[in-house]
Amino acid sequence: MSEIKEMVVEVVEKIFKDKVEKETVDLLEENKWAEDIWQLLLENELHHVAVSEEDGGAGGDIEDLLALYELVGKYAAPVPYVEHTLANFLLQQVELKGYEQLTTYSITTPLQLKGDALFGTLKHVGWAQYAKKLVTMAQEGSQQFIVVADLQDAQLKNSTNLAAEPRSEVVFENLKALQKVPVSEKQYDVFKKFVTAASVSKMGGALTTAFQLSVQFSKEREQFGRPIHRFQLVQQHLASMAGEQTLMTVAVNNIRTLLAAGREEREVAYARLRMDDASRTVATSAHQVHAAIGVTHEHRLHQYTRRLWAWRDEEFTARYWKKQLAQQLLETKIDLWESITDQAETHVHA
Amino acid sequence: MNLPNVQFTEEQKQFRQEVRSFLKQHIEKGTFETRCDSWLSGSDPSFSKLVAEQGWIGMTWPKQYGGSERSTIDRYILTEEFLAYGAPVAAHWFADRQTGPLLLRFGTDYQKEFFLPKIVKGECFFAIGLSEPNSGSDLASVATRAEKVEGGWIVNGAKTWSSNAHDAHYMVTLIRTEPLGEKKHEGLSQFIIDLKGEGVTIAPIRYLTGEPHFNDVYLDNVFVPDEMVVGTLGNGWKQGLAELAFERSGPERILSTFPLLNEVIEQLKIKRDLAGLEEATKLVAELWSLRNLSIGVAKVLEEGGEVAVPAALVKSIGTKFEQKIPEIIRLLLDVYPNLQSDNRVERYLAESILHAPGFTIRGGTSEVLYGILAKGVIAQ
Repeated sequence: MSEIKEMVVEVVEKIFKDKVEKETVDLLEENKWAEDIWQLLLENELHHVAVSEEDGGAGGDIEDLLALYELVGKYAAPVPYVEHTLANFLLQQVELKGYEQLTTYSITTPLQLKGDALFGTLKHVGWAQYAKKLVTMAQEGSQQFIVVADLQDAQLKNSTNLAAEPRSEVVFENLKALQKVPVSEKQYDVFKKFVTAASVSKMGGALTTAFQLSVQFSKEREQFGRPIHRFQLVQQHLASMAGEQTLMTVAVNNIRTLLAAGREEREVAYARLRMDDASRTVATSAHQVHAAIGVTHEHRLHQYTRRLWAWRDEEFTARYWKKQLAQQLLETKIDLWESITDQAETHVHA
Repeated sequence: MNLPNVQFTEEQKQFRQEVRSFLKQHIEKGTFETRCDSWLSGSDPSFSKLVAEQGWIGMTWPKQYGGSERSTIDRYILTEEFLAYGAPVAAHWFADRQTGPLLLRFGTDYQKEFFLPKIVKGECFFAIGLSEPNSGSDLASVATRAEKVEGGWIVNGAKTWSSNAHDAHYMVTLIRTEPLGEKKHEGLSQFIIDLKGEGVTIAPIRYLTGEPHFNDVYLDNVFVPDEMVVGTLGNGWKQGLAELAFERSGPERILSTFPLLNEVIEQLKIKRDLAGLEEATKLVAELWSLRNLSIGVAKVLEEGGEVAVPAALVKSIGTKFEQKIPEIIRLLLDVYPNLQSDNRVERYLAESILHAPGFTIRGGTSEVLYGILAKGVIAQ
């Protein structure tokens, strides 16, 4: 764990706690976002976390970034923090410099590359309508590249995800790649894991808040003359939410440590799969505990449950990783128990 | 709740290999056959003796009592390997998991010196006497009582659901030593009762499978000498609670049906059934996350931290997972559950189906645990 982690986590948490109100998050529904919070993050150099000091960054590593992404989920922060920092982090992996201008990424579907020209369509690109640069993957023949494109010249069809976060379809027709660096299949796999770990971290944060809101509500809300947490059936919801929340907190910590140490094998995939179950259970139980008030726009709960529902279907989904894991099982000679208990020493940083 | 994130060291990985090759070697020699739910239904005193010879009973205990002062994490690894390979460890299980730690914490010097070395050698097995007929999940409703006499106590009453009492030499027994007052948790004490002693009758209760498994233990004017009182008179409930944390959070709450999952994945690999493997993969992901949680609790236990709530968590989620395995597996393969079958999947499936209802009952029903969890969460 990096030394700066505790400090940056504290600073970011304070910013979100002070500035992210329910109303701030609601603004996304009107196509406005919290530019002032974004500026505050920039002023505090928080977009430079996990950028090396030689490159003008603040130091730190993927573990620190993922800890901050958890806070984005925990506060439903309406800013493109994950998109911008992760895009630049991916560039750093191939020794390219990051951008100060707002940058986003989309690496699920490679574009076609002909010379320096990009062709193809990317779907659900986060914050593309506000971003200037895009980090993505492209393919020429059998060679894959990480490329940077200028979003100003691309065709965008703007939309949102279930949580009203900006998502766009981006069409490339003979657009020039600003930079391109070839990457191996192995490197691309590692990128996929970083991106997946980011969404698992965000979801972990949102899940924690949905749970905490439910606990708080169950203490305050009285029915039939007593607080509702005294009812056994409500307790059952609280207990199962507590279980899922604790389970996922430990899982998220685990994949962060493994990724930072370059020792990840299958754990990000496991965490992603498990997160699907956890988010379903928590979202369902949280709404059940909150009852009618929880399904209104007026209450904060939806800012977290809508994010859980949206994020679980974005980027590399549980379905994607389920197929990957099944394929790996098929190809391996060792049995299941050996594969679960073997903590391989192979480094993921290719 | 936040739990530590444990990564195994090189030495620990090596130890795992050592245990694994011991088990594989004995499977090959035919010493035992892998089975599901082996920690409760696989009692084999001669196998326990072999385990003892390796120094693997009471391995975390002080050297002066025959232990090897190894870490809780080492013991965790050992337990996991036993369960994954379905080894018959039930005979020494309770002494190793509960009685030893109880005596180390609350026992007199005499008790430690008398019992612990025998347990370590695999010569002395314990049963647990908590529940009573008709008390259900209400463990504190203890009617078994003791009357003080010269040099000891005279005990009368009955205990039930005592797993493996028919194989055990002694039973740690919760007994009312003061008349029932307003608070039923008070006035309880823990006695060690010699199960071969006069006035003790053990009547096996057959499990769903037809096998003897747990027992009724009747205590009719049984004399228990003073030196067999564990800890402080009247403090039995608190001492018992400390024991429950060890009982609830271990790998035995996750891996009871693991041999079935492992075998089915092998079969799906042979058939190159990708769709089946995808379904099975979800169970693997669940297992991984549960293990993290359970190992985290083991680490906190080792450091002497408070684990009652997270231990209840492992037990309630883990046992549901164990229970789910046969229900999902049977939809992935054409397989006929049969306890006598030569086909391993069929046999493990039968064992899993018939043992599964007990998982969410023994050691605290899920419903009681939900109450503990919800209260823990509200109190935070």
